[in-house]
Amino acid sequence: MSTAVEQRLTSLWETPKTLRGFLGTVDHKELGRRYIVTAFILLIIGGLEALVIRLQLAGPNGTLLTPEEYNQIFTMHGTTMIYWYAGPILSGFAIFLIPLMSGARDLAFPRLNAFTYWTFLFSAVILYVGPILGEAPHAGWFAYAPYTNAQYSPAHGMDFFNCALLLLTVSTIGAAINFIVSILRHRAPGMTIGRMPLFFYSTLTASFVVLFSLPSLTAANLMIELDRRWGFRFFDVAHGGKALLWQQVFWFFGHPWVYIIFLPATGMVSMMLPVFSRRPIVGYTWVAAATVLTGLTGFGVWAHHMFATGMGQMSMSFFGAASMTISIFTIIQVFAWVATMWRGRPVMTTAMYFVVAFLALLIIGGLDGVVTAVIPVDWQLNDTYWVVSHIHYVVMGANTFPVFAAIYYWGPKMTGRLMNEKLGKWSFWVIILGFNLAFMTMHAVGIEGMPRRIYTYPEGMGWSGMNLAITIGAFILAAGILLTIINFFWSLKHGAPAGKNPWNADSLEWSTDSPPPPYGSVHLPTVTSRHPLWDEHDEEEDPDGSRILDQGRLTFSTTWLDAVPFAVARMPDTTIKPLFAALGVALAFGALAYQLLWVLLGGAVVTIVVTAIWLWPTWQGKDV
Amino acid sequence: MSATAMLQTGRDCPHAAPTVLELDERRGTFGMALLITAESMLFVVLFAAYYYLGPQTDRWAIEEPPRLHYVIPMLVILVVSSLVIYWGDEKVKKEAFGAGKLALIVTILLGCAFLALSYFDYTEHLRTLLPQSDSYGSIFYTIVSLHVAHLTAGLLMLLWTLFQPRWGPAQFTPHKPYHNAAMYWHFVDTVWVFVVAILYVYPNIVH
Repeated sequence: MSTAVEQRLTSLWETPKTLRGFLGTVDHKELGRRYIVTAFILLIIGGLEALVIRLQLAGPNGTLLTPEEYNQIFTMHGTTMIYWYAGPILSGFAIFLIPLMSGARDLAFPRLNAFTYWTFLFSAVILYVGPILGEAPHAGWFAYAPYTNAQYSPAHGMDFFNCALLLLTVSTIGAAINFIVSILRHRAPGMTIGRMPLFFYSTLTASFVVLFSLPSLTAANLMIELDRRWGFRFFDVAHGGKALLWQQVFWFFGHPWVYIIFLPATGMVSMMLPVFSRRPIVGYTWVAAATVLTGLTGFGVWAHHMFATGMGQMSMSFFGAASMTISIFTIIQVFAWVATMWRGRPVMTTAMYFVVAFLALLIIGGLDGVVTAVIPVDWQLNDTYWVVSHIHYVVMGANTFPVFAAIYYWGPKMTGRLMNEKLGKWSFWVIILGFNLAFMTMHAVGIEGMPRRIYTYPEGMGWSGMNLAITIGAFILAAGILLTIINFFWSLKHGAPAGKNPWNADSLEWSTDSPPPPYGSVHLPTVTSRHPLWDEHDEEEDPDGSRILDQGRLTFSTTWLDAVPFAVARMPDTTIKPLFAALGVALAFGALAYQLLWVLLGGAVVTIVVTAIWLWPTWQGKDV
Repeated sequence: MSATAMLQTGRDCPHAAPTVLELDERRGTFGMALLITAESMLFVVLFAAYYYLGPQTDRWAIEEPPRLHYVIPMLVILVVSSLVIYWGDEKVKKEAFGAGKLALIVTILLGCAFLALSYFDYTEHLRTLLPQSDSYGSIFYTIVSLHVAHLTAGLLMLLWTLFQPRWGPAQFTPHKPYHNAAMYWHFVDTVWVFVVAILYVYPNIVH
């Protein structure tokens, strides 16, 4: 391996360390890290909001917050966590990992990648303009009409909510397109569809779900914004509108979104768990098929959020049955994971602790979900703390725990330093203690009949003790998360060097240095099995140097089924155009919140002009 | 499209890689297809909303169906334009760029004609129905206007393609601009077929 080649590749792929490089990077490793950091900061913000909620509810007759402030805080908490943390952080890992796992040098559309990062960031900014102005949205993360109409919510909070979400749907759909093309077109030669890492199945499924479900959220937000500020009548019952239209359109997006924030996390688990069990996953094909079927069935269950709205018997039966069906696909995966541990020799690292806890929490959250798929029980428990508890077991258990595992597992690949195992395990135990104290107790307080979203409660309801326990649990949970943050920064300086493959893992990202050089691998790897680093084949063996591809920014395009290379793809260089395009879109959607139509038009024109320049082709012979 | 820069790849690659590979110009086409998928879902959801709102409204379209004398010619215009741009796309594939350019200009003109007729259709409708009148007005104008917005976007893509000096193999951008813009135009036209069938023709049939 000659250093001259490495130098040439570095000079081709490196992002200049200048302001222009910072703003214009298209490197998936840099953008992936930024996505993760941004989403994690939003997790912290959302977490602090949760702590304020818990302080208010710690005892009866809380006076910390007014009812309106309480509504705003719980709305910001849910909105931040569900839309701006849970989805984007998984996108961050996908952006960082997909090219490395598939032996490609970048995602299919690196500039689109930069654009989706900037739009994601700006949408978060727009969302948080509301609270800064004291006009936060206050209708919960699913923002039911007609409460969100201008008549009942005259402040600009709901406008920021709608416009920020509209921008986020643009960003998320862009990212999904990027993932689909990357996975189906740029896998290493030989990485056939049957040899893909399971993370690819889950991200691919989630991305298709995004493509088919997110436009529904776009439509919903557009309709409510038109109702609010332009006098349209979609949700105005007096003029032929229907309040339930919002619920139908929203949940057609909303339930698939659960799988969008769940499936990629299961994919990460399917990568980590076999490595620490020291054996290939049991039932690879079953897990892959179950992943895809979860995504498909996820489209047939949205109305189970609406059982309490007075639906027909037939449709309730259908959606109840579909909701039960979907648990079969999840349980297939759970059995595969358990069997893998059973047949393997588990190595209990911190990452594995979080993975195993994920399994336990998923089963608890899954079972209390099955309970609510029984319609009479749902009528009893709907809108109580039982549901709050369920969503936290499922979303935190099945998203945040895998994410923490991933931080301990892939973090060293990103930073080059292993994190401290001892502190990590401390962090884990504190988190698991706080989590269960808070949310297990919430089940009980839900059965006792405490409704969700009340800003306080009187004495003598029998809820006071449990609420205090929940608050204590929430603070313990926060302390545990803080320990991991401390661990991360401590390890950046003092952690042991990670080396290429600290976990002796099987997938391709571990064949590169930690952190990976800008070009990934010197010789683009080839693959002959599902576990490239565990088999005999040398991925980078390339005696005549024909897979270096240093004639420019190049990577292979391969067929989607058999991964036979059929073309060489040219990748773009550092450019700040995506940033300006994102600024234009953000300006347009930000202006929408105040109905500044001329500013909106200006933003659209900026976007169109920048995009036209961005996509302007250069021709053979002009430059390389 | 003919091969551009020829690149050698290894014969030792275990999966029978061809020794000479072309430059990949069709990533953008794949991306465009996925974008069209997502955009189609936007219209699917809005059509679903149209049906969901329908039955309980006093003044639903069946009472007073929208008139067809503008939209049918508009439909003809778009179908013809789709055929023209398809023909042009085929010509550009065979590197007959002159014919391609002609087809592009004709398509753009037809698109502008559509917008002009669309203006008349709007003014006529707005006399009797406003988006603020009732839920029917809201969903009707939302669907029609979103289609116009998409059609304008498609027109901008066609114009952008027109201004490019040539449509030979692009080296830097992974796109075939002509083909991608044409694809998007077909999508816009297809949506209009559904708009006419669902919002205009069907209410006239059941009336």
